This record gives sequence, structure tokens and C-alpha cells, in this order.
Amino acid sequence: MSKFDAVSLAILWDRVVSIANEMVSSLVRTSFSSNVREAYDLSCVLFDAEGNSLAQGSYSVPTFTGTAAPTLRHMLAKFPPATLEPGDVVVTNDPWMGTGHLFDINVMRPVFREERIVGYTLSISHLPDIGGAGFSATTPELYGEGLRLPVQKLVRAGRVNEDLLELIRFNVRAEEQVVGDLMANVTCTQVGGRKLVEFMDEYGLEELAPLSGAIRSHTERAMRTELAKFPQGRWTNHLDIEGVDGPVTLACELRIGDHGAHVDFEGTGPALRAAINVPWCYTRALSVYALKCLTIPELPNNEGAVLPVEVRAPEGCILNALPPRPTGGRHTVGHFIVPLIFGALAEAVPERVQADVGMMGTLSLSGRHPDGRSFAGLYFLAGGFGALHGLDGAATVPAPSNMSSISSEVWEEMTGMTIVSKRLRPDSGGAGHWRGGLGQEVVLRNDTGGLVTLSCFGQRTQFAPRGFLGGGDGALREILINGKRVHPKGSYVLQPGDCVTSREAGGGGFGEPRARAPEALRRDLEEGFVSRRAARRDYGMDK
Amino acid sequence: MGHRIGVDIGGTFTDFVLYDEDSGVCALHKRLTTPDDPARAVIEGVHALAAQRGIDIADLDAIVHGTTLVTNGLIERRGARAGMLVTAGFRDVADIGTERRYDLFDLRLRFPAPLVPRRLRVEVDERIRHDGSVAKPLDEAGVRRAVEHLVKKGRIEALAIGFLNSYANPAHEARARQIALEVDPGLHVCTSAEVSPFMREYERWTTTMANAYAQPLVDRYLSRLEAGLSALGFRGEFFVMTSSGGTVGTGTARRFPVRLLESGPAGGVLMSAEYGRMLKLPDLLSFDMGGTTAKGSVVRAHEPLRCYELEVAREHDFKKGSGLPMRIPALELIEIGAGGGSIAEVDGRGLLRVGPRSASADPGPVCYGRGGELPTLTDANLLLGYLNADFFLGGAMRLDRSRAEVAMRRRVAEPLGLELVRAAWGVHEIVNEDVARAFRVHGSERGFDYRGCSMVAFGGSGPLHAMRIARKLRIPRVVFPAGAGVMSAFGLLASPLSFEAVRSGRVFIDELAPAELETRFRALEAEAASHLKGPPQRLSRRLDMRYFGQGHEVEVELPPDLSPREAVAALPALFVEAYGRAYAMSLLDSKVEIVNWKLQASGPIPEMGRRFTLDVPPGRSASKGRRMAWFDGEPMDCEVYDRYALAPGAELSGPALIEERESTCVIGPGDRVTVDARHNLIATAAAAAGGTPGRT
Repeated sequence: MSKFDAVSLAILWDRVVSIANEMVSSLVRTSFSSNVREAYDLSCVLFDAEGNSLAQGSYSVPTFTGTAAPTLRHMLAKFPPATLEPGDVVVTNDPWMGTGHLFDINVMRPVFREERIVGYTLSISHLPDIGGAGFSATTPELYGEGLRLPVQKLVRAGRVNEDLLELIRFNVRAEEQVVGDLMANVTCTQVGGRKLVEFMDEYGLEELAPLSGAIRSHTERAMRTELAKFPQGRWTNHLDIEGVDGPVTLACELRIGDHGAHVDFEGTGPALRAAINVPWCYTRALSVYALKCLTIPELPNNEGAVLPVEVRAPEGCILNALPPRPTGGRHTVGHFIVPLIFGALAEAVPERVQADVGMMGTLSLSGRHPDGRSFAGLYFLAGGFGALHGLDGAATVPAPSNMSSISSEVWEEMTGMTIVSKRLRPDSGGAGHWRGGLGQEVVLRNDTGGLVTLSCFGQRTQFAPRGFLGGGDGALREILINGKRVHPKGSYVLQPGDCVTSREAGGGGFGEPRARAPEALRRDLEEGFVSRRAARRDYGMDK
Repeated sequence: MGHRIGVDIGGTFTDFVLYDEDSGVCALHKRLTTPDDPARAVIEGVHALAAQRGIDIADLDAIVHGTTLVTNGLIERRGARAGMLVTAGFRDVADIGTERRYDLFDLRLRFPAPLVPRRLRVEVDERIRHDGSVAKPLDEAGVRRAVEHLVKKGRIEALAIGFLNSYANPAHEARARQIALEVDPGLHVCTSAEVSPFMREYERWTTTMANAYAQPLVDRYLSRLEAGLSALGFRGEFFVMTSSGGTVGTGTARRFPVRLLESGPAGGVLMSAEYGRMLKLPDLLSFDMGGTTAKGSVVRAHEPLRCYELEVAREHDFKKGSGLPMRIPALELIEIGAGGGSIAEVDGRGLLRVGPRSASADPGPVCYGRGGELPTLTDANLLLGYLNADFFLGGAMRLDRSRAEVAMRRRVAEPLGLELVRAAWGVHEIVNEDVARAFRVHGSERGFDYRGCSMVAFGGSGPLHAMRIARKLRIPRVVFPAGAGVMSAFGLLASPLSFEAVRSGRVFIDELAPAELETRFRALEAEAASHLKGPPQRLSRRLDMRYFGQGHEVEVELPPDLSPREAVAALPALFVEAYGRAYAMSLLDSKVEIVNWKLQASGPIPEMGRRFTLDVPPGRSASKGRRMAWFDGEPMDCEVYDRYALAPGAELSGPALIEERESTCVIGPGDRVTVDARHNLIATAAAAAGGTPGRT
């Protein structure tokens, strides 16, 4: 079948993953915005000449996985390979062609070896700003959300398209950071391309397609083998989550059979006039991600993991929203696809699934540092991780995306704001045989002397992270300004001295709390992760 | 002139090198490590080696010591009961961690528990802003109450103090330390601004907790050693190796035990650099591969690359991000989960994988015949003919080839549809690729072009793999140093007394006055020099600089002998050069700022490296006969040599196997080797060519 045996394929495969990792490291080290350099809100992918993916950087945001190949196809539809020249760089931030919202810039470079295209490198990163209303969940239409760049050449045969760059500069806040990040992407696609050619030279590969084919088929086979261990059948789940003016229903049906997995989101509520709609590309990526976690978590990411999964969402529903629906905060809804699928499969494969995660809170803040420079940045806060069969959820771990938090010292230095406190929330993890991870509480004060604009993207404020198989729910998320609870997806202006408090949700517990080992409960009490009151109430502790 | 001894404690053996400064002759000694009390093997070994060479211990000038005590203490959680004072509102920073998953798809994440448990961390009212100004004065009474509580109720032996933004102004930490010592003068106390004065509270405080956690451990250990050695009559100086490749006195070691992390491997790297000096090879890769891990590092212009980020006690195999971050000056080591004991198995892709699971020393590889059933790298190397079943560890252990064959067949060859030799070759080659890949990624992250430089290979498994790895990296020359079995202990003797002092201080370079530059470095110089004995011989002034607003800094070293005015004038060009080395990126129209100020003061570099000779017994025959070994799937008839019987000046060409007690140098077809005057083997790789990874 494959011309590679188990030794040579292992070697070549690991090597292309390593090249994708070098792209990520180049991007991180040359970028300016904290989204990239601290939070790794990025992805780097290598493709063969036919547009099939070979490898994705290990530290890329997993939810970008399935998206890159279609993005490349959109780009090549506008600029067919025969028209591309060495030194061309193509970009777009279109939510439907890219990764679901305008903030993510997709930057692609054809890789030439002598006169011939042998592959493509593509990098994606979340820009600090894209103009318009800023990063907000409340914008009613796509047009207000910022600059939408159709597929364009940012660099033509090595010469930067200054017109396009100027257009971008004119439309964004923090233009130095935005342009700096854009160019960091341009550089990393170049690094990746150079390494790819060296790699082909070194191993005497004339083309990458046989390798990408072997990688894909091994991945696909491994995933199908794992899926075959699931009981066959149909499972359904639905979740009510917070919309803008009321709950939104997400529904799914999972069919596991000889064909693999089929996910259908029939029954999901309609798209809204608020920027939390999810384009289909993002829905598909998260569905594939969830199933990959349950089947082949240790395998490198590539399109082989997409093949055994079929995803359908009715057009116009919130998980398949169409232009000009606004999508800036698509992750606030889209991230629920993972617990939706895990929940559906909890009875089928209890030893594989994870109880609900507390997810992340995101505060988008912009203003002016007392020293005069302007800032616009995202402040991420992780909730608790969900418990699994046999393992407590860790405290404050982001999921399903992996935006790491910014050090309080770095944030204060960057913005001039004060972080008053950052603490765990005791009792916020769902009780269980295995306990859910704790959330946290962070208090920020506007000490900049000027106004600070705040947009919140908080979920889990009405519907708690659920425990599985008898485990308790995690605590709800809350956002307060000066001690008063505010809408978790609102935009606000903070006066000097105003305090924002963000309380992050805990993870769900797993299994009956009364089955928890006394030793584990004793340690929870000693460390203050669980209070005595909660121990009596939830775990039936005697005294 | 007199005698000095280097002692390096490893997992299995404690190695000793005695250097006679008059004759330049080195004598080696090896004995089993005594894990229950590592000091015992050290004391016994010093006694034995001195007796063997007929030297009075009272005549020893110095003992230099490298130890894994701190590393193991953190991994095995054998440290002290330590408490911590933190800024009000930030007690939970240690539990909250980096808020980052080290694996995106594996849901079963495990993170290391903080070294100071939550119940022993107490908040104190105080607040310093990011610019160093005081927002809220220190609540001194609160500090006193907290320390009293921790000492009485918490029964702590050590205290870490970590306040927010203390890197910008350490005054509150320093005052709290005074108060703590007033409450309990016997307490070990350290502050985050002195242990690791860098921005980012989680990393700085974690480092500080590790320091406090290790302080009593190291204090007791050094006391036992000093008492034991002085009972033997030792009256010389006692030095301890640090992670940065310099040594410190016991006073400094007791204050900053966290700086002793990875001090053994640092000795090996330092010795590689020392060989580079002897052989006039300025740029090289140091490659050390043992039983469970391989360690690599880069030496550029005779200097090992340094870093300020280590990670210890990883919870999840070798996964980066699953351990505790330590921010201390260190020689930069790449750690690869591949060694002789690495297990070969079929991975989730249905392909061959080697490591990071390891059979360790017990039960060890299948061929040891101690009950191991999973085929390892050592088993593959035996099946390929590289190892001599009758001369492993100089014949101390017989290797069982048929057992290795059965295991390799059952666990690797048959499940993967490979022939036995192809399977064994695959195991060998995958490790070569893993190591080459790690070097490649590391080189590109550091802007280091390794093509054309040299490699120094040592450790039990390093010489078996070095030539092939070098070829993949287009490295033309490999040095197999004499005394490769005790490289780290050698390195200890080659390292100077040295200390690096660091301060944060943000200044735009276009606003920096020459006088300010001088004042800042003078202060650091005074601090660093206080850790030396006598005036410093070398001062290295370094700055972490970055484009304003960028998250990562690049390090710039100021050339010596510049006046303050010249130094300030040179900064923009120095920064651009360093930046260009680190990143393939066009320059930016952005202001440049200094973030950290660093000064390393060093004592004289011991001269031993350049003139030592090994004590080699003469008159053995170099040839040990012939043996079949496999290269690239082809069986080849190889000459086998006894390494230390090869005369200086001898030349030979591959395929060949050169055996010594601890290892075998595998020389591939077309590779050439010469033996230099000190018994180093200098090998030149056959015309470097990657070729296909075996059969495709």
C-alpha cells in the first residue's frame, strides 16, 4: 500500500511535524502581540503540492485543525498554483474561508523547489485588532466587526503590497502590533518553506504527496480502529447555553457505526444578531477535535483525523451561520461542541470522556497606559478542568482552546492597570468520585487614570459545567463591576478606579461523590480546595 | 602546585578524577553511588583515590563537587517543609500555574503539586507597582504574625518570600526577610528578588520555593561532607558546581541551592568546550547519551550557550510544560528521552517508536538477562553487532543475544512486518533521528548553524550513535574524548569559580546615560565578586534587550574594555546583531529597551584542561579481532580495536568498532579516525549525505 515501512514513515513523519513546530517557534518569537507570544493563539500547517496537509505544529490551537485545508483551497481558487510566483504570500481573514472570525489572519506561501511548487506553508494567528467595533460579542452585523480581507496577495514575488498594508494600517488600532504580527506570519511561512525544501533534498523526495498520503491513511486507520472499539449506536445530547437575550439550544446526534462517526446538529437554535454565531468551518473543526481526543489523542494532527468524521449542521442555525452574521465571539458558542459530544458519549465510553470543563473567560480591554502608549489586549482566565474516570480535574486549565494566561506582572506593566487579586475559588469544582478542577477569581482595577473599554465573553453564567455519571456540577462564572453583576457578554467603559471581578467556573465532577477516597477528601480539606460545609453537604462527611 | 579532585555523583556511579598539577597526570576512580547517603561514597572515594596515588589528603588543594542532590530532591520530593509569604491576593499563584495545557489532545493532564503546599503560604499586605513605586507599604506586624504562625503551627524549616513586582523593587522582600530572621534566627529564608530577579511571578516564585525547599537539604548534606572530609584531614578548599558551569563556595551553595540543578551535566558540557579549546574547535555540539536520557548542548566560539529556563520534575514523560519552571543562569541543555534503556514499541500510528519509556537500570534491557522483556536500544545495538556481548562494562556483564533477538522479533519485527535486522536498525536509526531533530530545532531556535561544526560525544551510548547523527546534521568531525566515562568529573576541574548577578531595570537605550550604565554594572560587580575568593579575573557584562513591546528578549554581551560612553554608543549595533542571529526577521522601526542587567564575575580558569594526560597502561595489542556489524541494512566485517591500546598517531578507517570499558565508538563505512597525543579519537564523517532513512 505505502512505499514507506514502519521505520521510514516514523522518521519522515516526525520530521515534518518538527518543521511545523519550527514555524510555530519562529512565529512566537517574532510576533508582537500577547495573543501570540503569551497565549499561542496561532496555528502553523504544512501542505503537499496538492493541498493535503502533512503536519500541524504541536502547539497550535487544535480548533484550527480541520480549517487549514479548506482555507488553502479558497486561496488557490482565486490564485491558481500556475499563477503563483516564488515570494508570493496570500492572506485572508474571511470567517467562512478561515477560522470563523475576522481576527484570525491566514497567511499562506507557496513553496518552490527550483521552478516547481512542491507544497504550501500556512500560518494563522489572532491579530490584536482588526478595526470596527473591536472584539465584542454584541455587534449586530459582520460589517461592524472590522476589516474583512478577501483573499489577497500581501507579498508579490518578494515585494510587499504596500497598498494593502496601508489599508490595514488605516483601519486598525495598535497598528504597529497588527503589522508586526502580520509580518511575523510572513516570516514563519518562509522559515517553514525553506525547511521543507531542505527536508526534501535531504531524503531525496521528489514530491510530498506519497508521504502526506501515508500520514493521512495511518492517522485515519488508527482513528477508525479506535472508533470500532466504541459500542455502535446512536446517542443524543442537548445543552442550553447562554445567548445574548436568552438561552440558545445546541443539539446533536452521534452515530457510531462501520462508517466511523457521524455528528448531526439538527435541532440547534438559529443564528442571532449578536457576534456569537459559528461558521460551519469552526463547527466541523471542534467536532473533529472532540472525537480525536477520545480516540487518538497522541497522534500528530492532520487531515487523516477528519476523514472518519462526518459533520452536518442545518444552514442558518447558530452552528452553521451564514454571512453577514457576525462571528467575532464564535468560540463562546462553538466551544460547547466539545462537551456536547462528550456528554452524548458519556454512557457509551465512560472511561474516555471528560466531565464538562469550566472553560475560559475572556476580557478584551483597551485603553491608554499612564505612560501614554495605547494598549488593546485579551486577558484570558481559565476555569477548572473537568474530572475524568480515575483523575481529578486540574485547577485553572483552559479548554478546549489553549489560551494561556498572562502573568499579572506582565499585564500590569503592559496596561498600567492593577491586578488586585488572583485566587482559586474553593468549592467551585464539581463534587465527585473524582473532583472537578477549581476555577479562580481575578479582580482588576483601572488605575490608568483614563477610560478603559471592556468587552466580556463569559459563558457558564447560567448553565453550569455538568458533572458526569453522578458527579456534581462546577460553579457558575460571574462577572462584576464594582461588586455588581453585569451581563457576561456586554461591553462597558471602566472609569478610573473601577474594579472588574471575574469569577471563573469550576469543572464538573465524575462519578458519585460518596465514592471519593477519604484520603483525597482529607487532602482537599487541608488545602482548602473543599470547605467543611461542602464536604458535609456533597460528600456526606460525618463531622 | 598540588592536587585537586573532581567528584561527580551520578545515578549509578560516583566518578572521581584526581589531577596532579605538577605532572599533568590524571587518575580516575569510579565507585557505586550510595543513594541513602551520597556523602558516604564521596568521602570513601576521596580516601581511596588519595591512598591509591599515595597522596596525603592534607596536601589536597581543592575538591570540586557536582551533585544531583537538588534535582533528585525535587523529583523525589525529599526537600524541607517550607512556607511562603506572598503579596495579599496572590497566595494561589503556585496552584493556578501557567494556565496552559502541555498537551492539547490528551485529556489526562497531570501537573506537579507546588513545592510549598497551599496551607503553608500566607498572604501579607503590601504592594509594589510595576515601575517599582510603593502602592501600599509593607505590613510589618502582619509579616511577624505570619512567620510566627508558620514556624509554630506549620513547623517550617525554610521560608520563601515572593512579592509581586519585586523584580522592580526588592525592598519589601528584603525587609520581610529581616523580620522573619528576627522571629526565628535559625530559619532558612530566601527572597524571590535575590533567587531569580526576573519578571513573571509564577516562574520567579516557583524558583524561590524550590530554593527554600532545597536549602535545609543542601545545608545538611554539605555539613556532613565537610565534617567527613575534615575528619580525613582535608584542609583545602571545597567548591560546588552550578548549573551555569561555574563553581561556588559552600556559603553561596547554601544560599542558592537551586543553582546546583543539573550541575553534573553542566560539567560534561564544560569539558566539551574545554576539548574544543585544546583542539581549536570553537563551535561544537556536546552530545552525552546514557541509560535513560540524552543531553545535548551548543558551544559557540568556545562558550557553551546559556539560558535562564530549566524545567525539572516533569510529570508526564518528557513533556515540556509538565514540570516546574526554574529561572536561573544555566548552561542550556536539550534533554531527549532516549538512552540505552529506551524501550522500542509500536506506537498509536502503527509505526515504530523508541522511548521515552525506559527499562532503566532495573530490569534494564532484555540482553542484561535481569528479567527485562521489552526490547530496548541497547538490545538493538547488540543485535546490530555494535556491542560486544563479552566485553560489556569491560566484561563485567555478559549480554544475552538470543533473548534480545526473541524480544525484538516478538515486540517489534513481527507486529510491524519487518525483518529482524531491519527492526534493530530501525530502533537504532530512529534514535539517531530523534537526537538530530532535537539538535536541529534547538539550533534554529538559537540561530546556530551547526553545519560544519564539530561534535564531542560521550556517555555510555553516545559513541555508538555519534557518527551517524553527525552525518545527518552535516557535521564533518566527531571527537571521542579520552576519559569519556568521567567527563563530568573532568569538567568540574576545568571550571572557574563564578557567580552571575542579575537585576531587572527597564531603560530605553536612547535615553541611557553612560554614567547610569556604569553605576548599574558596578553595583552588580560588587555583588557578584562577593561570591568569589579574591578579585575577579573575568567580568562579563550582559544585557537582555528587546524591541519595545515585544515579549522575548535577546541577550547582548558587551565587549570588554569599552568605556561607558563607547558601550552606550555600541548598543544599537550590538542589539541588531544579536537580534539578527536569533530571528530570521527584518528590522523593526521600534524603540529598543534594556530589560535585565547581568554580570558574571569569574575567578581564574584552571589550566588543567590544556595539559592533562591520562594514566594509560602500555603494551597492550590494539587489535581485538573482527566482528560482523550491520550498517544501512548491510552486514559488514569490522575490525575491532581496544581504544586505549591505540597508539597516538594511529589512523584507521571504518567500518570499525573501537571498544572501551564504558562504551563503543561505532565508525561507519568511509569514516576515518586518527588518535591524537592524548588518546582522543578524532573521526571524520564520510562525505556527509542524508540519504533516505534506510529503505523506502
